[in-house]
Amino acid sequence: MKTIIRNIAFVLAAICLSSCNKLDLNVNPVQPVTVPTKQRLPAIQANLAYSLYSQARFASYHSYYLTTRLGNTNTMTDTWNYNSINRMGAWRWHYFDVGSNVNGMLIRAKEEGSNNYTGVGKIILATSYLSATDVFGDMPMKEAYAGIFNPVYDTQEEVLAGIERLLDEGVAELNQVSDMALVMDATTDMIYNGNLENWKTFAKAVKARLKLRTVNFKGGNQELLNLVNDVLPKFEDALFRYPKASTSKWTHNLWGPGDFPEPFQFVDIKNDLTNTLPTDVLMKALTVDATTYDPRLFILTTQGENKKYLGAKMSEGLKDVSLPKDVTFKDFANLFGGYWTSDDSPFPILIKEELYFIKAETQFYMNDLDGALESYHRGIETNLKRLGVPDGQLISYMGSAKVAQNSASLKISDIMMQKYIALYLQGESWSDIKRYGYSTKAYPDFYYPRYALAEWAGKYIQRFPYDPQTEYMYNPKEMDRLGAKARNWVFTPVWWASNSTLKN
Amino acid sequence: MKRKILMLFLSTFLLVAHAMAQQITVTGKVTSADDQLGVPGASVKIKGASSAVQTNLDGAYSIKVAKGEVLVFSYIGFVTQEKTVGTAAVINVVLAADSKALGEVVVTALGIERNKRTLTYSVQTVKGDDLREANQSNIINGLQGQIAGAQISSSGGSPGLPSEIILRGSTTLSGDNQPLMIVDGIRVNNSSSNGTVNRLSDFNPEDIENISILKGAAAAALYGIDAASGAIIITTKQGKAGSLQINGTYKSFLETMGRTPRQQDIYTVGTGGVYDASSGSSWGRKFRYDEKIYDNIDRFFGTGITHDVNMNVNGGSEKLNYYVSGGYRNAGSMVPNTNQEKINLMMKGTAKLSSKIELTTSANYVKNNIQEGLGGASAGGWINSILLYPRMYDILSYEKPNGDPLYSYVEAGKEKEARISPMWGAMRNPRNNDVDRFLVNNNLVYKPNNWITLNYRLGQDYTNSKYRIVKTPGTPGESSFYGSVDENNAITKFITSNFTSTFDRKFYDDFRATLIAGFSSEYYDSKSVSYHGDHFLVGDIFSPNVVSKENLSISEGWLRRQRYAVFGDFKIEYKNIIALGVTGRNDWTSTLPENARTFYSPSFSGSLAFSELFENKDLWFGKLRASYARVGKDAPIYKTNTNLLGASTVGGGFVTDATGGNPNLGPEKTTEFELGTELSFFKRRLNFDVTYYQRRSIDMIMTPRVPLPSGYVIMTFNAGSLRNRGFEVSVTGTPVKSENFTWTTTLNAWKNTSKMQEFAGDIVTFVYGNAQLNAGKAASSLDKPVLGIVGTDYKRNSEGYVIVDKNGIPVLTEKTVESYIGNREPEFNIGLINNLKYKQFNLSFLWDFRFGGDILNASRQGMMSNGIAYDIGQWRDKEFVFNGVVQQDDGTFIKNTKKVVLDYSYFANNYYQVGTNFVEKVNWARIRYITLGYRMPQRIASKLGFKNLGLELSAQNPLVISNYSGGDPEVNSAGPNAGGSGASTMGVDNGAIPLPRTFSFGINVTL
Repeated sequence: MKTIIRNIAFVLAAICLSSCNKLDLNVNPVQPVTVPTKQRLPAIQANLAYSLYSQARFASYHSYYLTTRLGNTNTMTDTWNYNSINRMGAWRWHYFDVGSNVNGMLIRAKEEGSNNYTGVGKIILATSYLSATDVFGDMPMKEAYAGIFNPVYDTQEEVLAGIERLLDEGVAELNQVSDMALVMDATTDMIYNGNLENWKTFAKAVKARLKLRTVNFKGGNQELLNLVNDVLPKFEDALFRYPKASTSKWTHNLWGPGDFPEPFQFVDIKNDLTNTLPTDVLMKALTVDATTYDPRLFILTTQGENKKYLGAKMSEGLKDVSLPKDVTFKDFANLFGGYWTSDDSPFPILIKEELYFIKAETQFYMNDLDGALESYHRGIETNLKRLGVPDGQLISYMGSAKVAQNSASLKISDIMMQKYIALYLQGESWSDIKRYGYSTKAYPDFYYPRYALAEWAGKYIQRFPYDPQTEYMYNPKEMDRLGAKARNWVFTPVWWASNSTLKN
Repeated sequence: MKRKILMLFLSTFLLVAHAMAQQITVTGKVTSADDQLGVPGASVKIKGASSAVQTNLDGAYSIKVAKGEVLVFSYIGFVTQEKTVGTAAVINVVLAADSKALGEVVVTALGIERNKRTLTYSVQTVKGDDLREANQSNIINGLQGQIAGAQISSSGGSPGLPSEIILRGSTTLSGDNQPLMIVDGIRVNNSSSNGTVNRLSDFNPEDIENISILKGAAAAALYGIDAASGAIIITTKQGKAGSLQINGTYKSFLETMGRTPRQQDIYTVGTGGVYDASSGSSWGRKFRYDEKIYDNIDRFFGTGITHDVNMNVNGGSEKLNYYVSGGYRNAGSMVPNTNQEKINLMMKGTAKLSSKIELTTSANYVKNNIQEGLGGASAGGWINSILLYPRMYDILSYEKPNGDPLYSYVEAGKEKEARISPMWGAMRNPRNNDVDRFLVNNNLVYKPNNWITLNYRLGQDYTNSKYRIVKTPGTPGESSFYGSVDENNAITKFITSNFTSTFDRKFYDDFRATLIAGFSSEYYDSKSVSYHGDHFLVGDIFSPNVVSKENLSISEGWLRRQRYAVFGDFKIEYKNIIALGVTGRNDWTSTLPENARTFYSPSFSGSLAFSELFENKDLWFGKLRASYARVGKDAPIYKTNTNLLGASTVGGGFVTDATGGNPNLGPEKTTEFELGTELSFFKRRLNFDVTYYQRRSIDMIMTPRVPLPSGYVIMTFNAGSLRNRGFEVSVTGTPVKSENFTWTTTLNAWKNTSKMQEFAGDIVTFVYGNAQLNAGKAASSLDKPVLGIVGTDYKRNSEGYVIVDKNGIPVLTEKTVESYIGNREPEFNIGLINNLKYKQFNLSFLWDFRFGGDILNASRQGMMSNGIAYDIGQWRDKEFVFNGVVQQDDGTFIKNTKKVVLDYSYFANNYYQVGTNFVEKVNWARIRYITLGYRMPQRIASKLGFKNLGLELSAQNPLVISNYSGGDPEVNSAGPNAGGSGASTMGVDNGAIPLPRTFSFGINVTL
């Protein structure tokens, strides 16, 4: 008893000594507030890949690449109903996971004098903004990152101007990198290994992607063509690469079959290729004739259990009545394990084929059909080579009826469908499709999905809603002004799509 | 010098002076003039000497005294008597009630004891014995129905389930609404991190002397920064001068499942009316007559047995008294694989170091190890998996004889997506929460003269907790299939140090002034290390030692907070008639930005005992009181700047924490006005206490998800203002009082209404991010009650009839933005306690009535969309004519007469989409507890060698009468701190575990 009491007294004395502190202790002592730029860039690039993925995750269904296995099961992809979602992940991936991290890096870069990081950061932010405005339309830019909970939404036109400005500022920084700047190399730049020339070229390529959206109604084909011509010779693919045979859940391509770390396990992020089938649109694009498939089919996908290559109607899946009786998912290609859908697949941010097809499309509308045909062929070849198609197969495919052989017979749909294959599962395809208003002139095999709700009155899906859990709650006035509260809001084309002159 | 004082204290603590000379032993009985019953606990003291004893439960005493000395008999509420010791060895005394002394002394803020007669604000006291009548191991649950104005949502009382108490409505939307918890003057931890039990349940109800509930801001104003939600002041038992008393109790409990939701037993698994084993939903064909249908809810929950043993020793002399107690509880649960082992040890002693200095020291050790078969989830859903488990499978078959998982449905190569009985998770993946807690408390009182008291208190609440979840390999699921382990080890300290000086003087005969001035420091520190590992390389060792480095992550946390305050309290009284009080407190806190770090909390209060102005003032008592207070509240820790977290993606590095810092945070403020009256008639046989209050919470601090363009995902900010107002009535009476029979009754009734008054920015409806349905959500909307529900409804015409389309199906509202469809706050609450004493028998029971208050029944929605709900069995594929009107082409409406078939498509596309279908206005009447006690007559008990021997039979929650369609209507899905609290999940039933029904037997002996 005596000892116990003495012990208590000792404890109390110890407490007394330790109970007085200063009030300046509201900083977490075991967590950094800022780190050097080189420790921030890798995660920003990884997040850019995830952000683009989070858009493509749904856009790939809206682009008729994919459809759910059972059909009429997923409200977003099968019925185009986004009214009952709780969150919109893509909104967060752009603004927070890419944007906030870039902003944090920019602040540090300024302190360090590392304007190489400033330049790359701005170019990445611009790239992310472009993909985001493609799916969301109007969005805050001027008042973003100001801690404002009800920012004004800038029009898409303003956002596009802002993106161009960011790209120009980024390139300007890269043109005069300070001696004080921290080194950027393969350990800190996962995309271009610190090669700033590649970044400058990439910035121009992003600008070309941007111009493609408006050139049809704003004019400027020649300017766009000049830009692409400037970019193409120097351009290196912008890919985010994942290690081979990684055992970490964090270092997989999100289109792959591997496990996901917990933050990616939300239903709206995690891919669902297990329960997904290729569509008839995709299969037709990859079929040359009755006996021959596009060699890329076997590289983009892996063989299904029954070694068959059926395609299911968008939104219908196995409910598609035109499929053979007793059809099962085993009669379709397995979507996993393909060139872009393995755990170690690179994630495409912008690939060279896209530039060739931009060039081909531009030349096509400038009536330079020979030039267009040439660019179109170069685009296809680049893609076949990328996928490792053997030369013999390459030559026979290039000579097949699936590829336009002369400028007289070149149709816009030839260009767009080859771009569609080359950009398999990329969000950019949905932008092309929206630009053409889902027209069968550009996409001859498209049709209106059977399970789209009747209340959409035959309209095609055009965008994602803003994040319901935050934007609709904190910024109701802007939502009202934009009309974003309407049940059919996602059927309203974004600015560049609504002005597009290419929709039939 | 310090050391000398310490040694002095230590030695006095241990020594009891025995030396007395020439004494005789006087015995006798102290009885009350009112009912001729013995007065237990009365003090018998030798005048002018220090020794004193107390009467036992029958009022008997025994004291050694010298002839000629004077014995002083006293007890609160009675007129003190003196008797000179002559030759008689027996002195019986009859004490007359002191009609002037209404009330007792009550414990108020900072442990200050005040006379209830001149108290200027509302304080309700629950005696330890009343608390124990409820037989709840969690103190919060024991308070149910005993306090007017306390909204208590328990998740049952099974080990590990948290309970939440809110006084006078929610004051904050996303933070902790619970009052400050103080035990013997030091602040204690009541958090329930990770959705586990609220930590106040670590304390042993057996050790509690009484609990004061400071409901309003004025009562709690001296706590300043923590006063916004009121305070609960717990005083533990202490030694009483007198003969040594040993008291022991043993109780055993039998816990069974209470009211559960109903399921249909007509349709088996499948979709579209077709049997399909791969489907987990019950939309298949009808069960064939030869197919077994399992009653899985009943089969899952079992019977839990609990043993609870307590012992305490209590005694002392005038110079030193002590209380030592020990408790051991081994609790089972109706939830399988759930149990608790709890040990409480407490030691408390008070020593008079000199005639002017008194030292009280206590040490309290708690070990509370809980294993839970059903782990809590941040969005509720504890039992959803059980409610939805297809009835064609036996929920009890979950493993193969060799211990491997037995899947009820699995496709080759897709074991990760297999279906398995929820029993697998309960038996193989329990979570463990082990706590070792050590509280020390030291209070030094120095009274240099009869009007100055200096008091210094130093105490620490130290908690060492381990929280661990293991997933056994083979558990279906992406993250669990290869096994995983998560463990968090934390050491949390609250260090309270405060000094108060009290100056209490009477002057001009009729005036009394009391001034209290003090200083306090409170430091909070929580250091934790946690790790996560998955993919066990050795399947039967659940340790980070057997996972590869890539699959192991580890993190450290360290939270700190320092607060300082100076405070003062001035009160002036005139003749026990008028009292006026002013308090002020200035706080400094580390959690706010430098420019907002300090704030001031004043209160003003007054009371008028108007009965004193009447001639017949001795027959009744009446008092009016009014108060106003403004108190502040600081922010959660580390919310003023943004941190970086390590990135695990390719290339590593760091990323911004999704929870952003806000350098512009300011304190949250609460103002409260309170008006009350206390009335007492028939010599205190009937008492009323009525209070009206209006509380406004301004610039509430919230930490919700915020718009992403701000650059953050989650942020702490000052989000808006709300108001609570209501009244509380407490009536206590003694309708019958005779020699053999006494009936006392207490009725607590209260009503609170709240209104969201202001939101930051353009917010109109704030929806909580947890415990959600799509069709209906817990939310707060501007100008609506704070505990609202928003959601979709049927479209109605101007006369309020539901519009039905031409196909006979009701039409939904078009808006994607939800409208206000329910209020989860009860309209009216009543707690009715009765205590009947007949001879040796004592019967007490508590009725709890609740009127109104909507429940968002997400469990039912889940069960309906799964096809397993009772209603689906009743209505599926039946023809039905909706009661509504059809709009004609000319715009007029006629009554709908069209029959429709209620098929899957109707339920999926229409019924579930309507939030109002899952909002139920709920009333209940329930018996919280009923306890029958028997005290053996003294002569028999003493023959058996006991001073006292009691037996009791009790039932907790034995009867619930309610119109609720689900399980038990007391629901609080996510519980406090588990991703949400009061405003966000109270009244949301999303797989809530129904309250159990418990029966107990107890025996109580005193030596």
